[in-house]
Amino acid sequence: MLKDITLGQYVPGESFIHKLDARVKIVLTFVYIIILFIIDQTINYALFTIFTAMLVFLSRVPIGFILKGLKPMLFILSFTAVINLFMTQGETIWSYHIVGSWSLEITKEGIVIAVLMLLRLLYLVIGTSLLTLTTSPLMLTDGIEKLLEPFKKIGVPSHEIAMMMTIAIRFIPTLAEETDKIMKAQMARGADFESGNIVRRAKAMIPLLVPLFVSAFRRADDLAVAMESRCYRGGDNRTRMKQMKATYRDAVAGAVVTLFCLVLIVNEIIL
Amino acid sequence: MQTNLNSHKVLSAHTLTRAGILAGISVILMMVLEFPIPFMPPFLKVDFSNVPVLIGSFAFGPAMGFVIVLIKDLIHLLNTKTGGIGELADFLTAISLALPASLIYKKHKSRKGAILGMLAGIVAMTLVGTLANKFILIPFYSKMMPLEKILELCGKANPLINSTTTYLIYGVAPFNIIKASIISLFTMVLYKRISNVIHAK
Repeated sequence: MLKDITLGQYVPGESFIHKLDARVKIVLTFVYIIILFIIDQTINYALFTIFTAMLVFLSRVPIGFILKGLKPMLFILSFTAVINLFMTQGETIWSYHIVGSWSLEITKEGIVIAVLMLLRLLYLVIGTSLLTLTTSPLMLTDGIEKLLEPFKKIGVPSHEIAMMMTIAIRFIPTLAEETDKIMKAQMARGADFESGNIVRRAKAMIPLLVPLFVSAFRRADDLAVAMESRCYRGGDNRTRMKQMKATYRDAVAGAVVTLFCLVLIVNEIIL
Repeated sequence: MQTNLNSHKVLSAHTLTRAGILAGISVILMMVLEFPIPFMPPFLKVDFSNVPVLIGSFAFGPAMGFVIVLIKDLIHLLNTKTGGIGELADFLTAISLALPASLIYKKHKSRKGAILGMLAGIVAMTLVGTLANKFILIPFYSKMMPLEKILELCGKANPLINSTTTYLIYGVAPFNIIKASIISLFTMVLYKRISNVIHAK
């Protein structure tokens, strides 16, 4: 189970969306989410659906990957739909009497709200997954570093934050493997992680976590020594092999999203 | 070794690697070890991701705790399912546990100081957790589902919880107390054994 840890869900590709600058993608994703929570009109949902379909098409990510991202949300999606469907008051179009004062009712408004809310939740997940499907974790980290750079003046250590994220991302698979190894070693000595009540299972975690932390600190200090001996001294004047460059693509993407937002907002105001 | 985020001095390589790796453990614990508490709503889950945060902030000062939480949530943001809202709430609650605890422990480096600090942390986390639910999570989720009605329905099964306010008082607040206490207890047990290794160098 530990080996299965994946960070992000990057699907390498050469599409328009893949080639967008990570910074632009992060900002546009935020805009996408904000606008998703502003819209209310049915017509806007229709436009949003077209827009999202276009994004998915442009990204060339196999639809299966996107559906896979939705799988953990299946329960909450159906739960939301059912609750909205049966709990909205309005014009009844179907009802089923159970017992006494209990009856199930489906109303016209319920159907509308259920569909709209379902779409909202769906697009929230699709929007954020599209970002992580088309951008590798390291590119995202770089993007975050660049986006935080203006805040350096007020003391936000943007380079250090990105460096720590990179270290964490780099070591997560290593640490997961280590955890697995320690678990097996303790199981060979008779440890039992699976059975018993919560207190017993919590107690079983201690012989797992102590060696994990000890080895993690050792690794951290080894890495620090390695960095220092290679004269690591922070982000100032550090150069990169791959510079982030915004191109005409990013301008196009920005313009399209801005235009789209304007249309939706105008629709909201007029209707 | 003290770290100060506000100074313009570069964070030392040791701080960077320790924070990075502790945040890595934190992310793993968040993904692998979460379990629901009996008699509580199943979506309120306890995870151990804040144990490395507390251990880090006890060993290397409050700033370290802050940094680990930040990195943990930034990485979690890469896989977010809530558009960053869940991560924001987690960030606030984790900080509210680690900061008071490590500030008090820094002043009183003793068993008593640690316990007092953690009690302060538990109180702060319960408070912040409840407020985060009221002002961040509930408004967010009610954009997608009729929470009020769900909670009314809950009232039929559990007469204590039948509205947002009673949900916060009888659901979220006790959950946060339990969660913070479990994390603190774990850290107490672990830190004693690990601190020898950390401070041996």
